[in-house]
Amino acid sequence: MPRRKPRQRRPQRRKDVLHGPGGERGDAFRCTGCRLDVPLAAPGTAHRNHCPHCLTSLHVDGRVPGDRRETCRGRMTAVGVTVRRDGEWLLIHRCLTCGKLSVNRIAGDDNAFVLLRLAMRPLVGTRLPVGALLAL
Amino acid sequence: MSKDIPHSVLRTETFGCVRCGLTVTALDPGGARRNHCPRCLYSRHVRDGVEGGPSECRSGMAPISIAVLRNGDWELIHHCTRCGELTSNPICDDDNQFILMRMAVRPLAQPPFPLETFGGL
Repeated sequence: MPRRKPRQRRPQRRKDVLHGPGGERGDAFRCTGCRLDVPLAAPGTAHRNHCPHCLTSLHVDGRVPGDRRETCRGRMTAVGVTVRRDGEWLLIHRCLTCGKLSVNRIAGDDNAFVLLRLAMRPLVGTRLPVGALLAL
Repeated sequence: MSKDIPHSVLRTETFGCVRCGLTVTALDPGGARRNHCPRCLYSRHVRDGVEGGPSECRSGMAPISIAVLRNGDWELIHHCTRCGELTSNPICDDDNQFILMRMAVRPLAQPPFPLETFGGL
């Protein structure tokens, strides 16, 4: 599918954060949701922070992505999808322990079914504003 | 919400919207305190979510997404246009349904993968 990005963006900065099991440097991390071993190299992004299979993340960063200043270390589940102005999808994670929200770009190998289910979630419930649709 | 505010004062309290300038009552029809404009759904960054307490940012927060809770209720995710912080708030009954609907279908209008592949399922 053609990308809707006519102009070239600045390349992403290399991420240099600790990913090993004991806080050392590593080239993979283990998902807290499904225990999948996830390599850090991801197609389309240099800043992978969630599992491509179940989209679960870990709450380790504070105010700045990659700073590793958060002591919570709770599991973060994907709660929603948003779209940037240039058409990029962004995942919104919420920490199950402290309720903090964070946002991250999706990677090229993220599970398309899970992404689509997340995007469809507002449209399947009974809360759907049918009146607004009928007024169109 | 502090207890020392008389209820009648709270009922007539208003705030101006950051974006569209609409004067909004501080209480929604259900009686809960609201934090975003029902017309354009913009909010104002007044609370620091990372360290707690009031925030010095005080700029507008744009609605970016809808999160669905386990019980089916919708929550609005706001993104601060200046510092990038995210907050979530339950929607009110009188919120603009068109903007809510637009936010719900926007990811499906710009999919990162062809949706035709899901047609055979």
